[in-house]
Amino acid sequence: MHHRLGYVSLTVAGVSLAVATAIAQAPAPRSVPRTPWGDPDLQGLWTNATVTPFERPANLSGKAVLTQEEAAEFERQTNQARDADNRGGGTEADLGRAYNQFWFERGTKVVGTRRTSLVTDPPDGRVPALTPAAQSRADARAEARRRSPADGPEDRSLVERCILWPTAGPPMVPGAYNNNYQILQAPGHVAILIEMIHDVRIIPLDGRPHAPQAIRQWMGDSRGRWDGNTLIVTTTNFTDKTIFRGSSANLKIVERFTRVDPDTLDYQFSIDDPESFTRSWTAAVPMTKTDGPIFEYACHEGNYGMTNLLKGARAEDK
Amino acid sequence: MRTLFALAVVSLVCATMTVRAHHAFAAEFDAKKPVKLEGTVTKVEWINPHAWIHIDVKQANGTTEQWMIEGGTPNTLFRRGVTKNSLPAGTAIVVDGYQAKDGTLKANGRDITLPDGRKLFIGSTGTGAPGDPQEPPAK
Repeated sequence: MHHRLGYVSLTVAGVSLAVATAIAQAPAPRSVPRTPWGDPDLQGLWTNATVTPFERPANLSGKAVLTQEEAAEFERQTNQARDADNRGGGTEADLGRAYNQFWFERGTKVVGTRRTSLVTDPPDGRVPALTPAAQSRADARAEARRRSPADGPEDRSLVERCILWPTAGPPMVPGAYNNNYQILQAPGHVAILIEMIHDVRIIPLDGRPHAPQAIRQWMGDSRGRWDGNTLIVTTTNFTDKTIFRGSSANLKIVERFTRVDPDTLDYQFSIDDPESFTRSWTAAVPMTKTDGPIFEYACHEGNYGMTNLLKGARAEDK
Repeated sequence: MRTLFALAVVSLVCATMTVRAHHAFAAEFDAKKPVKLEGTVTKVEWINPHAWIHIDVKQANGTTEQWMIEGGTPNTLFRRGVTKNSLPAGTAIVVDGYQAKDGTLKANGRDITLPDGRKLFIGSTGTGAPGDPQEPPAK
């Protein structure tokens, strides 16, 4: 199934190093737009929709960056394969695609860097292996998903319950639709409105300490500060049910926001969770200006799906 | 080289095609109960997380069944200019989908078209609408 690219492996080390260096030195323009009180101005509507995969696919192993021509071909083929209007593959696959393409909004372009993965470190573009403890938790969750219990809403995922979306962040990563964010600033605070699924992160910048360890939140507890033109946000205090790619409640995320031009926000995040990952890792998910608008995704208000799937399970009980 | 690359991409996208919808459609609908419904719209609930289209489906015996069809998030359509008025009552549509597991008259709108086969709404592939994969690159 996997057709390797022989010619790219020669350039692996060089390209990866060059890219890692470029990412580490996120461009910091001398003059950036500023708020009336003097902070770098990150405000506006942003989207991170992209066809660039989170992890580098195995068949692009060793290839960190696509050429322009390859990127165009990659976009064409990915858009074609993702097209939900495709009805092939049997009824299970057909049902799994949910509904026509017109409801999706995944973006159609690779990221501007033409990287083959959003993960930038490790250099192989892959999320590091889980620790044995984290792997065992992941296996238990996979088993629960396979059994798909539906005795009550508490059995179902946070997504189905409209509590937390795995792309909402932190860290913020693209999904199948509603990949929109609005950043608002006030003296001493930054707020990020996340379309999916109706969350607002309010980030103090005044140097106050994190909440006590006993206080645990779905989206953690964020504190921000400015480092030159870059907003650095550190988030801790997650719940043990907030799981990002296998993370634990002791996950620490550091996000970096830099406005590199009027229409581009360089957004990177580092994942530090020794309990779950065999090493720390980093991803870069550039955001681009969008006209929006963003609408309220009032998920819980119309969540007929929950009732329907519980009724479906009762019908199957009979 | 070009061919090799194309093959590589194909194998990539096959492996990553899983859709992350709001919920497991397989938990709500039954892949063993495909339905094809020709009906007329009576109302649309433009609600999150999923829109629901209500249709009347005339039966051969002269009675009418009232079905509810699950779609995707309305936010995406709103951004493309689709509004509450874009699918008025009385519009004839064809729904190709799967019936709810509980046996009630609900289905997912796996494929929704107008009676002449045209795709519903402007965002479908190939129309050149915003967000369309065929759209030329912005700027």
